Amino acid sequence: MSRNPAPAMTTANPALQDVLQDAPAAPPRKPMSLQLKAGLAITGAIILLGLLAPWIAPHPWDTISMRTRFLPPNATYWLGTDEYGRDVLSRLLMGTRLSLAMGVSATVVSLAIGVPMGLAAGYFRGWIDEALMRGADVLMAVPPIMLGLLVLAVTPPALWKTALAVGFVYIPPIARLARSVTLSLANEEFIQAARARAESTSYILFREILPNAWPPLIVEASLRVTYAILLGSALSFLGLGAQPPSSDWGLMISEARSFLDRAPWIALAPGFAMCLLVIGINLLGDGARERLDPRLKARLGKA
Amino acid sequence: MLAIDDLTVRYRTAAGEIEALSSVSLTVAKGSTLALVGESGSGKSTVALAAMGLLPPEARLPAGRILFDGQDILTMNAEERRRLRGSRIGLVFQDPFSVLNPSLRIGDQVGEGLIHHRGFTQERAFARAIELLDEVGIINPEAVAKAYPHELSGGMRQRALIAGALASEPELLILDEPTTALDVTIEAQILDLLESLRVRRGLTMLFISHNLGVVRRIADEVAVLYAGQIVEQGATEDVLQRPVHPYAKGLLAAIPRLGQKKGRLASIPGRLPDLRNPPTGCRFARRCPFATPDSEAPQVLRDIGARKVRCTQAEALRDIAWPVLGEDAPSSPVVRAADAAPAVTEPVVAVEGLTKRFVLSNGPLRFEGWRPMRTPVIISPVDDISLEVAAGEVLGLVGESGSGKTTLGRTILRLTEANSGTIRIAGETVSDKPQRALESMRRTAQIVFQNPDSSLNPRKTIRELLGRPIQRFGLAAPGDIPARVNALLDLVRLPAHYADRYAHQMSGGEKQRVGIARALATEPRFIVCDEPVSALDVSVQAAIVNLLADLRDRLGVAYLFISHDISIVAHLADRIAVMHRGKMVEIGSAEEVMRAPRHPYTIKLLSAVPRVDGPIHGRGPTAVSSEILSA
Amino acid sequence: MVAYVARRLVFVVLVLVAVSMLVFGITALLPANVAYLILGSFATPEQVHALELKLGLTDPIWQQYLRWAGGFLSGNLGESTLMNRPIGPILAEAIGRSLMLTGVSFVLIAVIGVGLGIVAALRHGRPLDHGISVATYLGIAVPEFFWAIVVIVIFASWLGWLPASGYEPLSAGVWEWAKHLIAPTITLVFGHLAHVSRLTRSSMIEVMQSPYVTAARAKGLPERVVVLHHALRNALLPTITVLALDFGRLMGGIVVVETVFAYPGLGRLVVFSIQNRDLPTLQAAILVVAAIYAFANLLADLLYARFNPKIRFGRNVA
Repeated sequence: MSRNPAPAMTTANPALQDVLQDAPAAPPRKPMSLQLKAGLAITGAIILLGLLAPWIAPHPWDTISMRTRFLPPNATYWLGTDEYGRDVLSRLLMGTRLSLAMGVSATVVSLAIGVPMGLAAGYFRGWIDEALMRGADVLMAVPPIMLGLLVLAVTPPALWKTALAVGFVYIPPIARLARSVTLSLANEEFIQAARARAESTSYILFREILPNAWPPLIVEASLRVTYAILLGSALSFLGLGAQPPSSDWGLMISEARSFLDRAPWIALAPGFAMCLLVIGINLLGDGARERLDPRLKARLGKA
Repeated sequence: MLAIDDLTVRYRTAAGEIEALSSVSLTVAKGSTLALVGESGSGKSTVALAAMGLLPPEARLPAGRILFDGQDILTMNAEERRRLRGSRIGLVFQDPFSVLNPSLRIGDQVGEGLIHHRGFTQERAFARAIELLDEVGIINPEAVAKAYPHELSGGMRQRALIAGALASEPELLILDEPTTALDVTIEAQILDLLESLRVRRGLTMLFISHNLGVVRRIADEVAVLYAGQIVEQGATEDVLQRPVHPYAKGLLAAIPRLGQKKGRLASIPGRLPDLRNPPTGCRFARRCPFATPDSEAPQVLRDIGARKVRCTQAEALRDIAWPVLGEDAPSSPVVRAADAAPAVTEPVVAVEGLTKRFVLSNGPLRFEGWRPMRTPVIISPVDDISLEVAAGEVLGLVGESGSGKTTLGRTILRLTEANSGTIRIAGETVSDKPQRALESMRRTAQIVFQNPDSSLNPRKTIRELLGRPIQRFGLAAPGDIPARVNALLDLVRLPAHYADRYAHQMSGGEKQRVGIARALATEPRFIVCDEPVSALDVSVQAAIVNLLADLRDRLGVAYLFISHDISIVAHLADRIAVMHRGKMVEIGSAEEVMRAPRHPYTIKLLSAVPRVDGPIHGRGPTAVSSEILSA
Repeated sequence: MVAYVARRLVFVVLVLVAVSMLVFGITALLPANVAYLILGSFATPEQVHALELKLGLTDPIWQQYLRWAGGFLSGNLGESTLMNRPIGPILAEAIGRSLMLTGVSFVLIAVIGVGLGIVAALRHGRPLDHGISVATYLGIAVPEFFWAIVVIVIFASWLGWLPASGYEPLSAGVWEWAKHLIAPTITLVFGHLAHVSRLTRSSMIEVMQSPYVTAARAKGLPERVVVLHHALRNALLPTITVLALDFGRLMGGIVVVETVFAYPGLGRLVVFSIQNRDLPTLQAAILVVAAIYAFANLLADLLYARFNPKIRFGRNVA
């Protein structure tokens, strides 16, 4: 059926729409927002510190020394030492790698499974859609942390298993987003044009739809990294992730709990580090989302 | 009643400050109707929002006054302005689909102004809303008042909006494209309604529209807006029949006239100037065939006889018509379709008994005895349709929204699967083949879409978009593809350097040209053109229609040209088919259908089209009021 | 409306059946011998075999599932392998305490979150909006267990106003009871506020820019009426769904918070049963959480349908 020939709304503001509709070709690139810049700076700095950790850590991260136990922050140990006399700063830096690896690998797992699921559900519709999405409903019916606990309960804990479990529980939201993006893209006329020249289904899915679905998926994935870091650290905190003497941030906080009164710095350092990392990635993701093609944003809103 | 004086509005955007209106001055006299006409980007909606004091926070007003009944709206405080809005000034918006609150009943929305301006109780306001709905011609107003917006059709919603704007008996009604989203027959009804309200209530109206035919039905006076400036203003018939400013001339010449089949439509080349940094001289100069060195100097709106024109050469240009330019022939050899002028008489497309049904819902569950039953709600947007398109012929397909014309086009191309019927394309029966056996049909038959924003993949360059079909069907050696792409661009009259652009770097008309080039890339013999110009401005629309006509002449390709706009169809088509609710109610040669339509629906459709020429209908004598205006 | 409710109910039941299979399947399929897990790695093969027989672990998996699920339906949740007590009463106690904690937190989250979201939207782009953004950012950026520790340090260690952990029943006095609830509630509320407030904010901003709000202003309605009557009811529709989601997140949040505050609810029961390899208790607890969550979602769907005229089924009924 035909649509009414009303001009498409591209911005919420009718007056601005009036002016922008036939704006001159190639509008200049928008300057980066402060949010995006701050996000890039924080995240970039933390990634850099994590990568360089073995070389810039001032002390060995795992050498036990009873003589230096519970030292408050000072000139030698900038962030103090813990109950085994290990340098908190060095442990923190090494832990950065673990947290980042945890967040990224878990997100890669959920993207690798969730995106194809969502593409298939959104493009083929029908029973495939029903089956995949009802499956996602079932997974979403259990809070992620409990699902993660359940998976980890029956196997000896290890950080890589935590990453896998976290990736597994975050499949549904990724699949749902991929599906809604695909659904709206599948209605676009350029998909009809591809069908009108007898393109194969895989060409349409991977060459026409996927390149357009990436931007919102990448933004979502970047935010998912923070969820994964938080969930992973919570599991470690509960003793079901990294095991001592690992310098995972969640584990560090967990171990420091008993000495809160005497040595609060042992817990505060990883806590603030995590806060900074999560805020950085959030700023980055939100900033990138704002920068997205507004038309895509509008479409996502409708789906 | 309303006087806008030297109004300038700028919008701050991420890309820089855009000047939407530049020193616009207007007066609307009591009891008269002024139409503000312009294409997208002219700033016409900004005038409406400014007059209501509703400009968004990004707007800046460096200069100007808006006087309503002698008071400046811009210097009022928020509370005074609010008391004016909806009480002495009413506003009707463009899109009846989004301006009604989805979660409030119609009656509440129509009557609520009364509660706040006149101190009505909720019950009295609701009762008054029912009377108002009755006044705007809604049958069964009690039921409609209790309904929610999504339960009403577009025409009904627009009536309800008008009722709401009339509720507290405003003296001035501002209408922003009130009929643009509606079908022509509904549009005609709304225009009639407005006219009768104007007479009955002595309303003053500021009517904003891009459609000159509509304006002619309703307005005493017209102001033509271009790039934020008024370029010509005068009595409606004067401006429409004898435009002086080159832009007004071009705009009028670009409109296809019913019953006047000309070879080509006039079109206006080029595009709007960059409003972030508007030219100091004439803003139209770069698109103007009459431009002289004088045009570089700042232009003022001058009185020329009874009207105002912003052009130093107005006197000289008075009687010169807009030139209909034959666009230059492409410089490189034409890509010819495989057999452009086939000797065979067999039609390129033959469709018989085509039917497509959709199940809208499974219907409500009910019980017969103990057995649960459902009666599915089924619609047939394509209902037993048979038609043929000869090689090189243009078959126009006209119908209003929901008539099934788009579904028909897609069903013929097997993009939507039919429930029954046979389809033959280029002698091959394609209706019974599986999708993967349609290779040769997909090459022979192509499609051009309505929405230029949606029809091009935003992540691909034009080179990729046009190269893919050539590669897909192996129409050229990989090394020859760039040359083919350039030839295609030339064919649709885009410069070769556009090959490296992405869709968002082009204007609507340019995107549509790429869409046509993509369809031509497979050297098809038949193209479904699905509302290819509906999303475009009149001046751009004319250029695309001309292009399609040229391509048909040169390549011998046949079109199924689908449009809701019967004047464009009549201009381009050899034969016309009229669709109404899934059925084809009339088909015949274009001339016949236009001159002597047989089916009542066709007659209704034709009479509803707002025209810029021919006898005026739906409007009483306007001479008196236009005299007052020019004072 | 009746048919809609019935359909949703059936769906909830199906989801729960699937969740029970998932829960049972994961514990049964993972490459670990449950008996070994319970007995520890020093158990003799005879001991292991005896326990396997006792637990019915030698039967085919589907028989084990049916026995377990059948027991669940008849109210027999099995026995805790750790405490050697029926799971039912243990679980019931824990559910009560957890619902108290999540209930209070949820109401606070809904009220404060929606309130902050609306205020931020109405002050869009102004300092107050940025302030609220920053504050709520902190809430989601830091894991709950860290906030829990901070709350303990501030209120228990430094100020000494609140107990660091534990639980007292109402019978011990209202203040005693409430004192133990305050710290975990603060932690939960702060950790979950951001989600609601940010969504309310963006939804409200979107609605405030919508054509019908401009139209309402064009009618000259007072701004108060525009916001409360026209904007709010549309802006809050998506919030209903998010609140249901957040209830689910709260059910996850209690795992950490109850553990840190030694609050004897469902969350601590889950962690406790994992640490002690008490699989029957774990399975039952997780299934209960899923059920609570599913019904919260059902309630949200019904509320959504109730307030959205577009899907208000059978208007004559409603």
